[in-house]
Amino acid sequence: MKTLPIDELRELLAAVSTHGDWHLLEIETDLQQTTFLLNEAIEKLSHSFMNVYAQLTEQQTALQLLADAGKLQPEEMQQLQIFQDNIGQEVNKVVTGMQFQDMTNQLIQRTINRVNGLKALLQELSSHQLPMTAEDEHDEIRNFIMQLNQNFGQGSQHLTGNLRKSVNQQDLASGDIDLF
Amino acid sequence: MAKTILTVDDSGSLRQMVTFSLKAAGYDVVQAVDGQDGLNKAKEKTVDLVLTDQNMPIMDGLTLIANLRSLASYQKIPILMLTTESSDEMKAKGKAAGANGWLVKPFDPKRLIEVVQKVIGA
Repeated sequence: MKTLPIDELRELLAAVSTHGDWHLLEIETDLQQTTFLLNEAIEKLSHSFMNVYAQLTEQQTALQLLADAGKLQPEEMQQLQIFQDNIGQEVNKVVTGMQFQDMTNQLIQRTINRVNGLKALLQELSSHQLPMTAEDEHDEIRNFIMQLNQNFGQGSQHLTGNLRKSVNQQDLASGDIDLF
Repeated sequence: MAKTILTVDDSGSLRQMVTFSLKAAGYDVVQAVDGQDGLNKAKEKTVDLVLTDQNMPIMDGLTLIANLRSLASYQKIPILMLTTESSDEMKAKGKAAGANGWLVKPFDPKRLIEVVQKVIGA
């Protein structure tokens, strides 16, 4: 009598679960490292930016003292005003651009949550293989696989439902403002 | 005397950028790292404006607004949301909770200051 290849099926499910888990763990580790590097980069950039801005403010104060003492020509004062306006515009651009980390962090966290959810789903494949034996009837095996498939589908749907996307921005252009 | 603004956001870099922009415009700033921290700091000192994120651990922005609006001292204090969320559904929830405005990140400092000045003055 021919028996069903249950052992092979069991091995396949376990392999999908084990290999999948290992790859997902690697993805999670890389994402955690990316988050860490981004955090450190933004911290250093912010610190340097604040220092540069503080120095520019000091410089502006010193120049204003010279202007007040009448030591600058009108055209020099006009030129300084242009520089100041340009710096102000660039500072605004930097402040807008520096907000990338808030958005990328949220997206990375959502990806990590999905990876963890997917790991739990894959665990289903290996944890539900035990009830099967080669002596089971064909219908029992079919029912088992259908049940597994259904559980997998429900788990996937549940995972998606818990991962609402809160960041839809495609660029760093400033967002809309609504006053109620 | 400078007006005080409470900025609530779990992102350190975002809080830093908001604080930088508001201080450069002459406002005093109090920072909070999540809704619960924001609520505690709002109770410690009544501020002139609350600027809060939505998605934060422990307590989100909408819950913070609901809690603040239940306090007598915060029934008329302006509250603005500053968040990555941009859907009409979320904006409607914000309005229903008692927010006075919705700003989608990233913010432009010049526009942020214009809005703040419009809401609470210089």
